[in-house]
Amino acid sequence: MNKALKSLNLSRIGLNLFIGLLAVFILGPLVWLGVHAFASDWQYPNLYPSGLTMRWWSKVFLDSAFATAIKNSLVISPIVVLISMFICLPAAYAAGRMNFFGRKVFMITLFSANSFPKIGLFAAIATLYYALNLMGTFVGVVIIQLLGTIIYMTWIPAAAFAAVPKNLEEAARDAGASKFTVFRTITLRLAMPGILVAIVMSFLASFDEAQGTYLVGAPGIFTMPTEMYSLVQNYPIQVAAVFSILLAIPSVLLLGLARKHIMGGQLAEGFQLK
Amino acid sequence: MISLRSKKSKEGSLTTHGGGPSPRSLVGLALSLPPLLIVLIFVGLPILIGLTFSLGFTTGPNRVIAIIGQQIHKKNHWWGTLGAYNDVIHDSRFFGDLRLTIFVTVLSTTLVLLLALAIALYQRLIGGRKAAVLVTLSIVPLFVPVVISAWAIHTFYGGDGFMRTFFTHFGINFPTLTSTPSAIVIGTVWTSLPFAILMISSGLQAIPDALIESAKDCGASVFRVIANILIPLAKTPIIIAASFTSIGILGSFTIPLFLGPNQPTMLGVEISNFFGAYNRPQQSLVMAFIVFAIASGIAVLYVRSNIKSAKESGRL
Repeated sequence: MNKALKSLNLSRIGLNLFIGLLAVFILGPLVWLGVHAFASDWQYPNLYPSGLTMRWWSKVFLDSAFATAIKNSLVISPIVVLISMFICLPAAYAAGRMNFFGRKVFMITLFSANSFPKIGLFAAIATLYYALNLMGTFVGVVIIQLLGTIIYMTWIPAAAFAAVPKNLEEAARDAGASKFTVFRTITLRLAMPGILVAIVMSFLASFDEAQGTYLVGAPGIFTMPTEMYSLVQNYPIQVAAVFSILLAIPSVLLLGLARKHIMGGQLAEGFQLK
Repeated sequence: MISLRSKKSKEGSLTTHGGGPSPRSLVGLALSLPPLLIVLIFVGLPILIGLTFSLGFTTGPNRVIAIIGQQIHKKNHWWGTLGAYNDVIHDSRFFGDLRLTIFVTVLSTTLVLLLALAIALYQRLIGGRKAAVLVTLSIVPLFVPVVISAWAIHTFYGGDGFMRTFFTHFGINFPTLTSTPSAIVIGTVWTSLPFAILMISSGLQAIPDALIESAKDCGASVFRVIANILIPLAKTPIIIAASFTSIGILGSFTIPLFLGPNQPTMLGVEISNFFGAYNRPQQSLVMAFIVFAIASGIAVLYVRSNIKSAKESGRL
């Protein structure tokens, strides 16, 4: 009895230790970087900064290059998501609800396009971009970011559409609802959590995309992540910390919006080919 | 089993006409065309053109890049030349890079899977508040842009980072991990954990309680329940998690760029170096194709496992 109690205590300590280590592993780097945004100076090996300041924030907000990058990011990503929805959602509906010829090939083609190393694709795409005059253009950047969203915007909603029970729709039809009403009030509504998750994931994919945007957009178009590449090399760590916090805001807001559905399995469901 | 499908779809019976594609099938195909075309034009076509360039086709669309680039091999057979492939294979750097890439991919994928399995199993079998804390913690990286996470980890494990700062106060000289392969592993595990957790935990949640309870009633230990019921039944999500994680790590760029050593480095960084800094686009593409070949091998596992599970559950 005593022995069992001891082992129970031991496993509880082990579990708490594990939680603590995971918290340090996951949150530690973020907190450490975040605190730097308010530190005037930080000498190794002091556990605390020499002082607190907001001067790095004004540096970021007053620098026109940073402001432009923030503006670009906030304009480009929503456009990318809207185009992605327009292009992919009908396809997702088809893939989820219709057993058309070549459906499986379609899904696998999207997947294999995703498994080519991105950096290699960006190197290869330069040729095409020069031929189409897309280098350094807004459209070019939008297309590059669009490529990373397609897999989310087709796969996740496809699974969500497929999961809508057919008998519900049929019952509504039998009760006299028009096809459009059924689609709007039942199909679309039940598939909405999946679509929401797809929108969030696509936004993050576009908002975070750095390497392709840099290759295609520079030197004319900078977004927040591409600005970050040059920033970490040329500015003190505090400026990068401020910029990181700004860059993380949209993601954190979206986390609040879609956390329930993402953890509820909508994302996982989307990645099982059916 | 095919008959099962057509019986379920109401429209199927309405539109059966002599073997040809049904109108509904054509609609489906038409709806799926836009994303397919985008992918074919902006992914398929560049890869195809890139393949011809890597084989020494230096005219047509490859003319400009062949003029700008250095150490270009021109084709000497009707099918091209393997000159650039030969360059890469005989480049001493390449094998160091390849070894590091495979080492990181295998080690990080294993660590991610073990961590995700442990947390997801704990959540499935015991649950409660602590399980929720563990899962929530592991999802956090999903919402942090890679550039930030790479930079945050860089500063955390760097020469004047938190780990060294903290441990000096206990008289321990914690090693500087930034710019070593260990930092790449830390970074890739950090960024890959959320997807693996989501996949595996949703797979485990789908297993009915009754199965676990009845096994326990028959006297099965927790380990037998895990090994003989939970893991086999969640095999498909586990394989999906494994393949997406490893393919993602294989082609990763930002993490090894910020966290890894200069030499050897992972192939993702080397592809970019060869394309940009060294101006050797042909060799750069050759490396991309080598990474793609490895990724395709993993992708086959993924597709096969999916098809198998679809067959088992009667969807195919």
